[in-house]
Amino acid sequence: MTATTDEVLVKAQNVTKVYHTDEVATHALRGITTEVTAGEFLAIVGPSGSGKTTLLNLIGALDAVTDGHLEVMGHNVARMSKRQRADMRLNQLGFVFQAYNLFPVLTAQENVEFVLELQGVTDNRTERAREALDQLGLLDFADRRPTQMSGGQQQRVAVARAIASRPRLVLADEPSANLDGENARILLDMMHELNEQAGITFVFSTHDPRVIAYARRVITLVDGKIDTDVVKEREAMAEQT
Amino acid sequence: MRLGSVALKYATRSLTRHSRRTILSMVGTGIGCAMALVALSWMDGAIRMQVRAIAESGAGHIRMVHRNWPETQEDTLRLQGLEEVLATVAETPHLEHYSVRAHAKGLLAFGTRTAPAAITGVLPKHEMAANRILRRGALEGRYLEEDEEGAVVIGRTLARRLDVMLDDALYATLSGKDDIHSAMLRIVGILDTGSQELDLAVCHITLADMQEITGIPGAGEISLVLSEERHSAEAKAHLTETMPADNTVITWREVNPSLAANVDSDTAFMRLMALIVIVVVALGIMSAQLTAVLERRAEFAMLSALGMKTRQIVSMVMMEAVVIGLGGAVVALGVGGSVSYYLATRGMDLSRWLDDDLGFADVLFDPYLYGSFGVWLIGYALAIAMATTIFATLYPAWKAAQVMPADALRTTG
Repeated sequence: MTATTDEVLVKAQNVTKVYHTDEVATHALRGITTEVTAGEFLAIVGPSGSGKTTLLNLIGALDAVTDGHLEVMGHNVARMSKRQRADMRLNQLGFVFQAYNLFPVLTAQENVEFVLELQGVTDNRTERAREALDQLGLLDFADRRPTQMSGGQQQRVAVARAIASRPRLVLADEPSANLDGENARILLDMMHELNEQAGITFVFSTHDPRVIAYARRVITLVDGKIDTDVVKEREAMAEQT
Repeated sequence: MRLGSVALKYATRSLTRHSRRTILSMVGTGIGCAMALVALSWMDGAIRMQVRAIAESGAGHIRMVHRNWPETQEDTLRLQGLEEVLATVAETPHLEHYSVRAHAKGLLAFGTRTAPAAITGVLPKHEMAANRILRRGALEGRYLEEDEEGAVVIGRTLARRLDVMLDDALYATLSGKDDIHSAMLRIVGILDTGSQELDLAVCHITLADMQEITGIPGAGEISLVLSEERHSAEAKAHLTETMPADNTVITWREVNPSLAANVDSDTAFMRLMALIVIVVVALGIMSAQLTAVLERRAEFAMLSALGMKTRQIVSMVMMEAVVIGLGGAVVALGVGGSVSYYLATRGMDLSRWLDDDLGFADVLFDPYLYGSFGVWLIGYALAIAMATTIFATLYPAWKAAQVMPADALRTTG
């Protein structure tokens, strides 16, 4: 098991997010204070509307905090320009979404290669993309388009795309929500292995007990607030998985 | 965006998602641009026809006059060094014909009837070759012969006003340099142009008679008809460089500013029509591209989430526009080029819209209107199609780059 280090990747202090729709204010997050350190395998759980996805979007610099202080990779996100946020997402973060969000007109390999191209990788780009697919057991599907793959395979391509750019932190929003039991297990095993072997930090939002079982730390959100923040013992983890 | 890049593959393959829409966009762009091409071809042909008509109706494409003539328009001014000038004119590049003239204002009388007339002294052979009104009008009798003395050709309206016929003798009074001069002139020809205005302006005598009657030697102007108006600058430069001093060269625009304004106005109108067609096409493309972008909102959100910059997203959408534009240009060339080629080689018969009787339009204009056709069509088709699609895609591309990833992924996820 990869031990977590003291390096703080995410630092949230009293983070608040309010959505305004037609003069109605919706408080998605109410004063979140927490930290994510390098090497963690962290699950954010809670019922629908508890603020899990919102918190991931804020950490991923996809959305802006309403109040409070949020640092990602040592940068105050609120002070970053649009271009700086894009650079951080490209070079230090990886994303996996519930709906896979692969590009249907590209093959699995091209989907993965796209990120590397955006990063400006020219040497061994194809090899790196294929290596990422291989890590997820998808090398035989490299030339297939998303519509020619199962949901589980598509989600593994999404993970390959997320890790190909060698990010420090992967944010996964309900990654197993559309997968059956077997595919969910395969996916989680692979992500767990990437965490263990490559030291990639994973933060999930989920309400899937299968995912929670894999997590070493579980933050529970209720009504936009942290209800519990539990770090599991190794023995308990082994029993659960 | 590099050739073979994934971004380029994404852009081009995205066009195949709704291939029918893409093809319709290309065809729409192509048809619109073809209409603009045909309009431009037609306009170019019509303008050339107009200018040719003006040049062959006496004005010439360029004209040599005394240097004071543009300011005073005085009939008694004469070209300096006529022999030398004629030698220079003969060597003018792209020269087709030239006419040598001298003008005088006068009064014609027959019995108790009189009529004012603008009398023109000409070299008959040159005038007949250079002046389409003489060639195309219905001439009763004959035109002047070289060195013929005491003969005159007048227009039908003038003849009616004076109530004269062939072989009648007119009493002509002309203003000379310092005095009034008179002579008897026998009518050898009566010209019917179909236009009262033009008929009134026709009163030709030989240049020798003009010199004899007015007592002013030489010629007042030499009007040159070139093979194409576009050679005017070259011809003017040649004449300016080699002609004797105290003469100047002016263009048909300076001779007939009101006609030049009409031509410019027609040009502007046709360009406006072409522009309106292009704008309508552009709005259609914009609508289709905007739909295509909104359908892929989640994908653009994902691209943004992955770290793609605004400029890169805009470039990628614009690349789709470039492909549509290229397809449109091919259609435009196929359709517009074919129609323009037909117009340029077969022409359009305008006589079906004209009266059967001899009319002003028959004399002044050609019965067939020929459009322009050339390599320039390829450049125009590419330029119009590309500019239209790129302009039309700017807003959809900007819209794609402005998709908020969190919003788009939340609503689609």
